[in-house]
Parts: sequence; C-alpha cells; structure tokens
Amino acid sequence: MISIQKGEDLITISLQNILSYRKNDEDFINLVLNWNKKVLIELEGFYPVEVIFNRDEIRFKINNFDKKINLKVKMDIITFLDLAFGRLSPVKAVLKHKLKIKGLLKIGTLLKFMKIFLKTMKMVASDPNNKYYELNKETR
Amino acid sequence: MTETKDRNIYEKIKKGAVFKKLVEIFGEKNVTNKSGDLYPYSYDMTECEPHMPDFIVLPENTAQLIELVKFCNSYLIPIVPYISGNNVGGLTIPENGGILVDFSKKMNKILHIDDNMMYALIEPGVTFGQLKKFLDENYPHLRYSYPYAPPYSGVVGNVILSGMNNLSCKIGSMGDSINGLEVITADGEIARIGSCFYGKDEAKPDSWWCRYPMPDLMGVFINWQGMTGLVTKCAVQLWPNPPIKKTYLAIVFGLTDVAPVMREVGRTEIIDDISAVSIEVVKMTVDIPVPKKFPGEPDFAALFSISAKTKNQFNAKKEILSNEIENLNKQGKNVILVDADEFVKLFNLRVRCYIDLPSVLLSLVEYSGLTWFGSYAPSHKLEELIEKVDKLFYKHNITPFIYMKMMKSGHYAIFRPIMRFNKFKEGEEERYHKLLEEISDVCVDLGCIPYKTPAWMTEKMRKKINPGWINLFEKIKKCMDPNNIFNPGRWNT
Repeated sequence: MISIQKGEDLITISLQNILSYRKNDEDFINLVLNWNKKVLIELEGFYPVEVIFNRDEIRFKINNFDKKINLKVKMDIITFLDLAFGRLSPVKAVLKHKLKIKGLLKIGTLLKFMKIFLKTMKMVASDPNNKYYELNKETR
Repeated sequence: MTETKDRNIYEKIKKGAVFKKLVEIFGEKNVTNKSGDLYPYSYDMTECEPHMPDFIVLPENTAQLIELVKFCNSYLIPIVPYISGNNVGGLTIPENGGILVDFSKKMNKILHIDDNMMYALIEPGVTFGQLKKFLDENYPHLRYSYPYAPPYSGVVGNVILSGMNNLSCKIGSMGDSINGLEVITADGEIARIGSCFYGKDEAKPDSWWCRYPMPDLMGVFINWQGMTGLVTKCAVQLWPNPPIKKTYLAIVFGLTDVAPVMREVGRTEIIDDISAVSIEVVKMTVDIPVPKKFPGEPDFAALFSISAKTKNQFNAKKEILSNEIENLNKQGKNVILVDADEFVKLFNLRVRCYIDLPSVLLSLVEYSGLTWFGSYAPSHKLEELIEKVDKLFYKHNITPFIYMKMMKSGHYAIFRPIMRFNKFKEGEEERYHKLLEEISDVCVDLGCIPYKTPAWMTEKMRKKINPGWINLFEKIKKCMDPNNIFNPGRWNT
C-alpha cells in the first residue's frame, strides 16, 4: 500500500488523483516502493511541483524545493492532456520540444517515471468512468 | 406595511375549525398539524429566521386548492406555497404561520410533452431530476435546461423566480421560457395565462405553446414569490437535444480577467452556457471544505458548453471559441482553454458532477447552512464587483465563493457570491450574515438586482427603488391579494 499526500492546489490535486488510481495495484506498488527519487514536474503557466517518492510514500512540495532533484519534466497543459489521451507519444513530444526533460541521461530514472506516471495517467484517461456521480454517494 | 404579522391570524376562526376544514378538503392523510411534521418546513438552508407553519396540506388537484384559497381568503389565513424548500432566500418560511401547501408529494405530474411545439406542461411539484429522466426515456431528442442546484429542486419554482440554467447564455432568464400558467387568484378563480387562454373549460394540452401577444399577465406572477396567487400548472419551453455536446474549461489567471472572457465569449453566440466560479470552489467540489488559493494558481474557472447537430457545426463553433480565447490572450489576458471532460478525468472526477445532472454538488450541500447574494448584474461592472466582493470575503476570513453566468449572449450577467456555514455552530449565522449584508450593499450600489430575495434584503432595496415602482407594486399586490393571504411577509408585504 502506498500512501499519497492529499493535494491542496490544482496541480497536486491532479497528481494525487492520477497516482491514486493504481495505489492498490501490485505492479504500481513494486515500482514506487523504495524508489526514493525526487521529480520536479512543471506545467507551463502554472508552477513547479516536486514529487517526492520516499519508501512507501508519495509527497508533494510546491515551494522550498530540494537541491537534489533526480528528474525535471516540463510541458504545457495541452501536451499533458495529449500525452494522457494518447494523441501524442512521449518520444514525439520530446522531439517536438513539447516535453522538456532534464535528466535524460539518467535513463533508468526516466523509464521508471514513465512507467509510474505516464502509464497511470493514460489508464486514468482511458477509464470511461460512466458512474462518476457515484463518487459523491457517501456525501449525500 | 405588515398586515398579517402583527395580528392573531385565528381571530376569525379557531385553529381546530381550520384543521377540520382542511381535513374536509384534502382528506385526513393529507393534512397535519403535528409539530414533528411541521418542523422541517420551518427553516431552510439560509440564516433566515425559522418560523413554524400551523398546518401542512398535500394537495392532489386544483379543485381542492380553489376551495382552500376561498376559505383562507374568507378567514384571512396565510397560504405559503412549497416545492422542495431548497431556495436560498427563506422564501417558503411561513413567517406569519398559516397553511403551507406542499406541492412536491402529489401535484408532481408531467401532464403533457408537446413534441411538435417543444414544451412541457407540468404541475408545480415536478423536479429537474424527474423531468430529465422522463425526457431522456421518452423524448431523447428534446431537452430541458438544468440549474446549478441539486436535482430535487423544483422546475416551476425555478422558472417563476427567474432562475438560470445551463442554456442561459442562449435563452437568458428562465422566466422568459414560460409559455403559460394556470393560477388561482385570491377570490378562488382559475386564470389561464398565455396561448392556453381560450375556452371556458380546461385548456387543451396542445394549447400551451406561446406567451404572447395578448397583454402579458404573466408578469403579475413571475418573481412575486407566491404573493399574488397559487400556480397550479406551468408550461415550460423545451429545446432540441443535439447529438453533440461538449464543455470547455477556461482556466483564467488574474482576478478580474474572467469578466472580459465571459463577455467576449458570450457575444460569440455559439455557447449554450457560460458559468464561472472562483478557483476555491473547484476545490470545494473535490472534498476540500476550506480551500486556500496558492501563489501561481489561476483565479477563476469558466465552463463553456457547446452543442451541435453535426461534426462540422461543432468544429465551426469550436474554432470560433478558440479564436476568441486566442484574441483575449493577445490582448494580455492569461487564459488556458481545455476540454473539460478530459481535464476533470485527470484532475478529479467529482467535478464532472458539476457539468450536468445527475449531480451531487458537494460545494452546495456539504454544509448545513447556505446563503447567497444571488443577483442579475450589469456585465460591464463585473470587474468591480469581483474585486470588491473578493476583498470582503478576505476581510471576514471566509473562503471566497463567487459564481457567475453570462446571460442571453452577454446582454446581462449573474453575479452570485455564496457562503456555506455551519448552522449549528454558535455565532456562525450572525458572522456570515454580516458578510452577506456588506456584499449586498456593495452589489446593490453597483446596480445588481437580487433575485429570490429574503425579506431583510427587500427592505434594503425598497430604500433604493424609485417610489413610483414601489407604489405600483403595492397597488398590484393590494389588487391581487387584498387580504394579504399569499405568502405574506415577502417583499415586506
């Protein structure tokens, strides 16, 4: 079981939502558990968010970032949605400079991040979620 | 001003005799005077002072109501109409006691759907959820429009009080979408208004197709908060239900820049509905009850709904919208336009409930108390309104919740600061009411006209309204309801 910090701003709410989608999935747990990396995600026009993978926890920071960041990813919100909904592949996005990555050489970190984040994002996007209104059932 | 409030309403007839008469009219099962039954009708979500009714009746037909009105008019007993009680203005709190007529239980039938002339003839108790389900199942090519309110809200209450729905950028106030009304006036007479006005007997179901061109008597009932008669039937316009519907989300940076965005997009005439909320409200929707705004976050989120019959028509509309946003960005605004469905999937699906029925609007229902300054607003003053009201929220240390709409292609706007609070926490009602009063003063000074107004607000408004209007209003009220039996206390009557 991975514990994911509750988001309080627009970006961390989204990150929490995406990462929570597979939090009980064994493959996802194995990927995240003890990964111990820090990834800075920046959506252009918004603000950067540091995603901290630490043991069995995922936490977020929106300021006072750590000096040692393992991977930096930058894109605009349209690219973010295009990647999630399969209209753009990560490779094409990098080649078209729509997805900017600092730490490309750390190929292991990059690939793992892709598996953790991009794959999950695509899974969230492709879920039809027809019963979305059930989410608020408990609050009725 | 007040006539009923200061007198004993049972001086002409004893309460016991009233109960007996009500049982005679409605039957024993449909009348109650037990305090346990009366209590839920004594208050609403707002901070308006609760007051118990003396009786609740559940009418089944118009004949019963005619008898009730004649009886109440003879003995000067107040009648308060009630549908679902979730108006935000204390409108059905029987502040002078009397008989509360609950339409929701038995007068809730969809009487006729006219496929040809696109309208629904309904009884007062019909809810939005009910009408939507009925149309989806039986007339999927037709649609009604739905408000930013729970699905159990009443359709007739919404139209008769000039509510606004999710086609408002196209059609404007819902009051304009009424084709016809059947009302019982104070003398117990039935009047049919609109194209259904021909004939001595019942109107034919297919005769409720238009409101004009005879003298428009609808105005004697619309926005009168039940002060001039009892509405027993209402015909509301329906619209073609186009196969393609999509909602776009504009994320707007800059506190007041949402105003020109709404105005300019409204003028494109391609949008069914434009609504905008403070960014804090988006977070309330996803289970963050007291959200904060962080540096770098946008200030408002605006939703634009587009519908189209064909892909080409949709693409053309989408192009116009994108071009408009591009122009605004060239002028120095900072707006990001995305597909709302896509965005909410990644952000949080709970926001999806906001877009269409069936919806559970967490931001509106998670607290025991809800109050607002709901108003029609001059759209060129939106910047000033947003700025001043936002400051007031912060001054009172209350999370900003501003909801806005652009109406009828931008002819006017809706400006609605909303407050959620804990009704059962001591001092909370007073604290929120103080903010509401300050907001009301600022907004009325800037020309806003509140709707679904509680009595304390109309008292303030009366000091600002021209005397000629007030006198005419009083004359009409006196003429329509000489004994002040219909929802007394509203608009300080």
